[in-house]
Amino acid sequence: MVLLRFTLSEEGVNALRDALACLNKFSDEVSLEAKRDKLVFTALNSSKSAYAAFSFITNRFFSKYQYEGVAQNREKFFCKLYNRALLSLFRARTGDSLHDPEKGGSVIERCDVAVEDEAGKKSRFIVKIACRNGMTTKYRLPFEVSPPVHAKFDKDEAIHSWTISSRTLRQLMDHFGPGIEYLDIHSEDDSTVNFTCFTEKVASGDEVLKKPLHTSIAVEKEEFDSFDVSEDKLHIVVSVKDFRAITQHAAFLGSEVSAQYSMPSRPMQIRYDGDGVKCEFLLMTVGERGAPGQRTKKTRAGARSAPRAQQLEAATSRATSNAPTPAPRPTPATRHDDYQWEPVRMNEDEDEEEGDARLEWDASDRPNPSAVKMSSVIANQTAQRRGPGPGPDNSVEPDQALSYLEPTQRLSQARQFGLFND
Amino acid sequence: MASSVRSGSPQPPLFKAIASSTRQIYQLLKCISFTAKVHVQITQDGIRFAADHSRVMQGVAFLDKELFTTYTLNLAENEDGALPQFQINLAAFLEALQIFGASDVAAKQAKSEAEPYRSNLRNYRPDAFSHQTLGVPGTCCLLYEEDGSPLSIILEETGVKTRCNMVTYTPEQPDDIPFDRDDLAFKIIMHSKWLLDSLSELAPMSPTRITISASPNAPFLALSSGGALGSASVDFTSGRDLLDTFTIDTKWTQSFKFDLVKSATEAMRVASKVSFRGDGQGVLSLQFMVEVEGGTTSFLDFRFVPYIAQNDDDEMDTDEEEED
Repeated sequence: MVLLRFTLSEEGVNALRDALACLNKFSDEVSLEAKRDKLVFTALNSSKSAYAAFSFITNRFFSKYQYEGVAQNREKFFCKLYNRALLSLFRARTGDSLHDPEKGGSVIERCDVAVEDEAGKKSRFIVKIACRNGMTTKYRLPFEVSPPVHAKFDKDEAIHSWTISSRTLRQLMDHFGPGIEYLDIHSEDDSTVNFTCFTEKVASGDEVLKKPLHTSIAVEKEEFDSFDVSEDKLHIVVSVKDFRAITQHAAFLGSEVSAQYSMPSRPMQIRYDGDGVKCEFLLMTVGERGAPGQRTKKTRAGARSAPRAQQLEAATSRATSNAPTPAPRPTPATRHDDYQWEPVRMNEDEDEEEGDARLEWDASDRPNPSAVKMSSVIANQTAQRRGPGPGPDNSVEPDQALSYLEPTQRLSQARQFGLFND
Repeated sequence: MASSVRSGSPQPPLFKAIASSTRQIYQLLKCISFTAKVHVQITQDGIRFAADHSRVMQGVAFLDKELFTTYTLNLAENEDGALPQFQINLAAFLEALQIFGASDVAAKQAKSEAEPYRSNLRNYRPDAFSHQTLGVPGTCCLLYEEDGSPLSIILEETGVKTRCNMVTYTPEQPDDIPFDRDDLAFKIIMHSKWLLDSLSELAPMSPTRITISASPNAPFLALSSGGALGSASVDFTSGRDLLDTFTIDTKWTQSFKFDLVKSATEAMRVASKVSFRGDGQGVLSLQFMVEVEGGTTSFLDFRFVPYIAQNDDDEMDTDEEEED
């Protein structure tokens, strides 16, 4: 039975490829969620510190879109796919200018996608690409039916915001070289905003050029279309890799990028719209609140203090993880089908991999997220959807699974660490 | 003894050929560089290079004597006209040819590394700034003194003379993969680019085997494969006019090792047309026509032995492809 069927034009394929390429920078696998009015592709990175969602408005983006729905869940259909496979089949195909000069630029005539899922038959994500020259390619990809994890963002809390043209933002980011990890955005005074890139990594060995390196760019506030940050000298730090992935994609669309955030260690939302597509990202911000000034000093102090800052934060997180065992998990009140970001310290014994120390924000209650990876399923070549293996328990009714959200510690326990001092 | 007597008067070498450019030779031989050693046979009409991969794949490049400005083969009378044959290391031979215009190649290499996708995009196209195009004079001479002697490649470029002596090995003389021209199951002639495109559509799924089927009615020609990431198939249902010639009696389906077919992609890139044939036994023959500048055409011949047809389908996905 075909649950979902849609058709893309060549421009549609290109737009979808751009979106998938962006998602690929966050995670290996991409979650698809189809509803009658929209088709959403999401990805959450492995450390659960960044989340990307592309929502395609079906009647504007697709030349044809038909959603049938499943018996057990009429409203929406979801699955997970391996992004590398998707990217390779939606890849840019080079036109053949030699044999067919006038059609050289355009190769794909249409692209039909269908999702088949039926008991007793193989569930497949089927892509049929018809080229202008008459060749037709058909791909059948396996998928995993598992609910997508959405990160939640509290708009009311995010009082600070700015908007800027994506091109300006891209140009700004182009100034920063490779090998940097974090981007610190803060307003300096009434007229300028500072973008500071830095890394806390120290080069090992006796390399001549040692990190960390700080690069700072002062941007006139006029470059922003709007800049509304009430708190002075608020430092908001995000991962450059994620931020770059966003600015690159935003520059393709050329639209206005808007960011909203509240304070360090709370997520920052970045969003922009394209033709028939809404893009939304949540990035976990780094750092501690309450000491922005101190932070600046550290930053200014240069190379040596930066690693110490990380240590400090790591210590904080360890302290948190050694806190008394989480209280027995109460059954949550009827929540909607969205996961919420909760601070979770799952792997207490895990020695911090770099970065994990501070960005441990888990959105699911699975003990071992890596076992859920699509790639491992593929490796096993268990093509069956409900086949055995380390996959998540698919037999649980999706909605039910979603509603069993377990907070891992009481707010009161977390309060003592001064994280919520307002 | 006999040779020492004769050496009193300078004996003309058994074989000598001079070419003003090594590019065509290099281009053609690169297409069959999927094995280390190749079998070389020198005939009156040209040189035949045959590469053989475990007797299941064979690639033959024929360098027509037209590619050379002088071409002399002095067959000794007493050797009852046996053609000289030997084996050489192809990789080393290609390396030697590249000494000619080495700077060009290095520049090109650097360029293609900087832009990875450029490397598989018509890299063979003449470069406006290569020594060849700029008319930097140079010659390449292939010399085979006598049976068993090394094959010498003498390259002269702007006053620099390089001589490479390649060790020749005794011919192993593998039989050609039998391809029965009288029992053709189908014959298709098309642009080799279409074949290349089809293979590049299948490649991302990292398949192990490729199933080729030709049928008298739609989809005419279909290539399909299944791999770890999923399965893919390409067909020509609405692309009948892409096939310049299409002759077929009954449906023909065979599967081959994908990597072997893939090792012919260099030929697909270089060639303009391909003659795609299968015989009653299931052997696949791909004959590529390569047009080199100057109007001469050369041919590259590939043959593939199929997998033994299995009754039970352990290919899973590939078979269900054809259901609609």
